[in-house]
Amino acid sequence: MNRKEFLADCGKKGLAGVALSLFPWLESCSEKAQQEVKGEKARIGMIGTGSRGLYHIKNLLRMPNVEMVALCDDYRPHLENAAQYYPNAKLYDDYRKLLEDKSVDGVIVTTPLYLHGRITMDALRAGKRVFCEKSMAFTLDEALDVYNCRKEMNGVLLIGQQRLFDPKYARAMQMIHEGKIGKVVGVRNYWYRNNDWRREVPSPELERRINWRLYSEYSRGLMTELACHHLQNGSWAMGMLPEKVMGSGSLLHWNKDGRDVYDAVSAIFTYPNGVNMTFESIISNKHFGMGEQILGTEGTIDLVTCMRYTDEPAPKGSGMHQLVAQIENGVMSNSVFAGTSWAAETSSLAPGIPIMDNVTISTGESTVGAEADGSIEIMEAFVHAVITGKQPEKVLEESYYATQFALLADKAMHENAILTLDEKYRVPYEPMK
Amino acid sequence: MAEITFSQKNPAYPLMCASFRAMHTKVELLAVGVDDEKGRDLMQRAEAEVRRLERLLSCHDDASPLSALNSLAWEQSVEAEDELYMVLELCETFRRATYGYFDVTAMCSETDGVMSLAGGYSLDAKHHSVRFCRKGVKIDLGGFAKGYALDCIKRMSQQEGITQGVINFGNSSIAALGHHPYGEWWPIGIEHRMVKSALAQEVRLADSAMSISGRSEAGEYHIIDPHTGSRVAGEELILIEGRSALVCEVLSTALYAAPRAKRADIMSQYDGYRASEIVCRRDGTTECRVVGATVVEK
Repeated sequence: MNRKEFLADCGKKGLAGVALSLFPWLESCSEKAQQEVKGEKARIGMIGTGSRGLYHIKNLLRMPNVEMVALCDDYRPHLENAAQYYPNAKLYDDYRKLLEDKSVDGVIVTTPLYLHGRITMDALRAGKRVFCEKSMAFTLDEALDVYNCRKEMNGVLLIGQQRLFDPKYARAMQMIHEGKIGKVVGVRNYWYRNNDWRREVPSPELERRINWRLYSEYSRGLMTELACHHLQNGSWAMGMLPEKVMGSGSLLHWNKDGRDVYDAVSAIFTYPNGVNMTFESIISNKHFGMGEQILGTEGTIDLVTCMRYTDEPAPKGSGMHQLVAQIENGVMSNSVFAGTSWAAETSSLAPGIPIMDNVTISTGESTVGAEADGSIEIMEAFVHAVITGKQPEKVLEESYYATQFALLADKAMHENAILTLDEKYRVPYEPMK
Repeated sequence: MAEITFSQKNPAYPLMCASFRAMHTKVELLAVGVDDEKGRDLMQRAEAEVRRLERLLSCHDDASPLSALNSLAWEQSVEAEDELYMVLELCETFRRATYGYFDVTAMCSETDGVMSLAGGYSLDAKHHSVRFCRKGVKIDLGGFAKGYALDCIKRMSQQEGITQGVINFGNSSIAALGHHPYGEWWPIGIEHRMVKSALAQEVRLADSAMSISGRSEAGEYHIIDPHTGSRVAGEELILIEGRSALVCEVLSTALYAAPRAKRADIMSQYDGYRASEIVCRRDGTTECRVVGATVVEK
C-alpha cells in the first residue's frame, strides 16, 4: 500500500492527512489494513478480567474478526463477569494453562502491574502474540527483559499506550513536527482527581488483591498508572528522550487506609535540548482535571481539548505593508485587508483553533477507561497483528521508554535524587522526524 | 513598545510604518514624509495615549475607573472623572440618536425591551456623577474605545504636521490623513469573507475614516441587540464611511444591531456619513447595498 492509499483509507477513521512516515504503527488501523484481515479471525485469550479487561471486552465485542477463545482470572467473580460476554470461551484460573492452549493465538494481559512482565514474557515464549496493558513492567530491569524477550522471540508485542493510536494526538503531533507552534519549549502534563482510587472490596482479605494499585508490592502508583500515559508526549513531540529526571512524591491526603503509594506526585523530565516536561498528579483535588500541553515559541497545543492557540498571530495580509510597497514603487492599487475586528489571541481567554472536527474529549475522571482515546484503534492494531504476525514499527520503543521514565521518576522520588537512565537500559530509539 | 520601520526607497516619499498592540488588537500607523526623530516621538506619544485610554475605558481591568463605576453605581451615585464623564455623555447621546441600537450597557439588557427607552444609566451634570438605573447594569465601551482612540491619534498626527497617512485599528477601524501619494484617496479593500484575500468592496478614504462591523473573524456573533439582549446573527457586514472614526465605529455597531428597516432612519440623522450592507456569498460574489439606495451587484 502506498502513502496516498493509506491517507485515503485513513480518512474514515479521522486519520486523514496524518503522515505515515511519522507514525508507522498507525498503518494497521487503516481501512485497507483492516480489509487485509477481513474474514479472518484472531483467536484471543484474556488474562485478567477485572475492570480494564472488561473495558477492552466491550470494544472487542464490536470487532467481527475477534474470537475470544479463553478467559483467565484467579478471582472467580471477575472471571464469571467476563464469561457472560463470551459463553463459549474456555475458562482458566491459571494463566500458564491458558498459554498452553493451542487454540489461543493472541493474549491480552490486563492484570495488576507486578504481573505484566512475567506473564508477557511467558506468553511470548509460548509463541503468543501479546497485548499488555501499560506500564510494560514493574521494574527497570524487567522492562528491559520484556523488550529483549520480544526481540529474541521475534514476537508481537503491543503495550496499552493508546494515545499513540488516538487520531487527535497523531494530528496534533504532526502539526508540531511541521512547526505550527514554532520550537517546542515546554511540555506540561497533569492529571487531577478527587477520589480515593479504591475499588469496593467484598471481604477484607481481598483488600490487597482488589486494591493492588495502592500497594507498592504490586504497583508504582500514580507514575505507572497515570503518568505513563503522558510520558511519551515529550519524545513524540521532540524526537528525543529525557536526559535526567527528578521528582517529589508524598502521601498527602489518603493516608489513613494503609496504602503506601504516593497520592501526590510532581516530576520533571529534562531533555538534552534543555526543555522540561512536567507531570503532576494529585488525587484530592480535581479542579484542573487532566491536561497535556505542548508549548512552542509560536503557539500551544492542548492535546486533551484538541485545540491550538497562537502566541503571536499576524493580522491577515498586513495591508499596511502593501501600502508601503506601493508608495516605495511609485504606484497605487487596492490593498485588501479591512474586515471585522482582528483580535490578538494572546490572552488565556483566546478561543483557540480546533485541531480537527468532532472530537470527543476525555476528562480523565474515569478510573477504568475513556471514550475515543485510541483504545479501539490500538485493539484493532493488535487484532491485525495477531492475524498477520507483523509487529507494528517503532511503537514498542515509545511504550518502553514511557514505562522506563515513569519508573525512573518514581525511583527519583523515593531516592530524593536527580537520575539519568542507565546506559544498559537504552534500546534503539529512532526519533520520529 | 512600538515596532517602527522607516523606508527611504522612494526618495520623494520617505515613509514610517509602525505598530503596537493595544485594546486586544494591533494598531498600525503609516505616515508619509516623516523623519526618524519626529516619527519615533509621535509613536511613543501615540502608544502612551492609547494605553492611557485603555486604562480609562476598559471594563476588563479591575483597576480602571470604569470597573470601579461598574461595581458601585447601582448602590450609589459615582463621580466620574471629566473625560470618562464626557465619554458617557457621548455614549448616551449616540444611544438616543440611534433609536437605542448603540448602547454601552447592551451586555446586560433585559429581554422585555424596556431599557431601550431609558438606557442603563443616568448622568448628573452638576456633580459629574453616574448612577445605574437597574441592578446588574455594566458599561462596556468596547464598541466605542477604538474609534475614540483612533480620532485621538489622528488629531495627534495632524498636530505633528503629518498630512498623508493611514491609521489602522485591527483592520476594522481605519482613518486616513490626506490621500495616497499616487492618487486622490487611500484605496482600502475589504476582504471577502468567503474567499481569502479577495476583494469584496473598495473604500476610498481621503481625510476620512471607515468602520466595519459583523460576525467576528473567528465566526462569533458578538454584537448584542440592546432591545432584546440577544446576539445579532446577521451574516452581512456593515460598513460606515465618514469624517470621524468614532462616529463610524458607533454607527457600524448600531446598524448591525438594528433591523434593516430602521437603518435608513438612523443614517438620516448623520450628514456626511454613508452606510453599506455587504453580503459576501459562498461563490465569491458580493452584494453591496448602500443604506437608503439601490442595490449594486458585483
